[in-house]
Amino acid sequence: MKLSTLLLSALSAGAFACSLAPAARAAAPIIDWDPAYTWEEGATATHSPPGGEFKLVGTISMFGPPLNFLDATDPSKEFTFYAHGLISQGTTSQGPPTTTLYTTNYSGGTIEVYQDSAPNATFAPFPPNAAVPSTFIDGGAPILTGFFTSFTVQTNNFTAYNVGNIEGTITWTGGTVFGQLSTSGGGPCPGLFVGGATWNPGVLIPGYIFRHDGKIDLQCPVPVRGSTWGRLKTLYH
Amino acid sequence: MKKLATRVLLSALLFAALPSVAGAQSLLFDYLGFDYESPNPNPATFGELGSGYVGLGTVPGLFAPLVGNVVANEYTYVMNGLTPISVTPVGSYLVIDYSPGTLSIYEDSRSTGTIADYGTNPPSAVAPASFTDGVLFLQGAITGFQFVLNTANGTGSFESHFDVTGGAQLGNFALNQRSGWQFAGASGNALNIPAGYAHQIDGQTFLDPPLPTRNITWGKLKATYR
Repeated sequence: MKLSTLLLSALSAGAFACSLAPAARAAAPIIDWDPAYTWEEGATATHSPPGGEFKLVGTISMFGPPLNFLDATDPSKEFTFYAHGLISQGTTSQGPPTTTLYTTNYSGGTIEVYQDSAPNATFAPFPPNAAVPSTFIDGGAPILTGFFTSFTVQTNNFTAYNVGNIEGTITWTGGTVFGQLSTSGGGPCPGLFVGGATWNPGVLIPGYIFRHDGKIDLQCPVPVRGSTWGRLKTLYH
Repeated sequence: MKKLATRVLLSALLFAALPSVAGAQSLLFDYLGFDYESPNPNPATFGELGSGYVGLGTVPGLFAPLVGNVVANEYTYVMNGLTPISVTPVGSYLVIDYSPGTLSIYEDSRSTGTIADYGTNPPSAVAPASFTDGVLFLQGAITGFQFVLNTANGTGSFESHFDVTGGAQLGNFALNQRSGWQFAGASGNALNIPAGYAHQIDGQTFLDPPLPTRNITWGKLKATYR
């Protein structure tokens, strides 16, 4: 076989695999919460000094596949999470004084999800305190644990309702339901932590910086279907 | 008798018009979905002039004064009618302001209705059609819709004012408590975004506290105008 023919075959096969890739299907988030609140000593919504530790606690309102065997609406249970150890790399700004956008990247950080048979989570003001984060991390061993591989907070000084967003990526490491996240290819797909954040005083609790409405999706690769050069040729015969 | 009826009516109107109690903003509904542009004159760009913003998805959380049944029914939302009126680049960000639009929630039976289907490349045979079937549960006017998007990392947020204007649940809203606002996070980085959609969306809508009212007698009111 000539080299050029071989190259063409390889190229075509690659292109073929791409072309047969099914479109991503909308999947429900594995975890959706409402609400979560964040705090960071010495920080504001538009400024986080380098080295500050960002933390948040939240109550989970819904589980999607493959965790939908967990019922977040069961009144006899409570599902909560706690993210901490996110270390600020400092806030950078863009734009003129009247239209300034702020971006803060954080390094490190872990997240733990808990199930508690004695619902008691309370967003008490001015954390940390006797109730926060303690009432969000009781109930025994976490059902899910992971660490952040990225975490970014975006805010501004001009939106009418004080709105920005938070996004991060998670590598799952353990927990009692960790096995449910496994894929046919082995370990679980990474998690994508997303959602809007607001520092609107009308929905904020004193001592917290953001109210966060968010979720975690599994970032599973879009499957592709393998084929042979022969099969490809038959399509055009 | 006619005078008495007039007084009762005026008193009732007055009670509604003059405020008294202030409270915190309350969560009205929570939604999850995806957005796309239609029309979309430049598919390589988001928020370009001449495009139209459409958001659609499910509404897993309904709160007072809404009365629903999330077990028996599927609740879906559609946000549309929004057209960019200005696009302001700020560093790696785009600040996109839109014309007024509408946010509608539909109630559809899980047993006899059509399950919402995002499909691909909307608008299509299933989207938004499978999100707009059923009963118009709640409708609101959206104003001041502003999308802030970081083009460097594909994430952002939006917000707007929200006024309840219609739908089967309209009667549950007191005349002095029909205004609120909404916000959402948007991400173009999720691998589960169906082809043809731009971002996944997670948002909430809040209701402002009731406009305060003050009790007053008919005599005092008349005295005000003497």
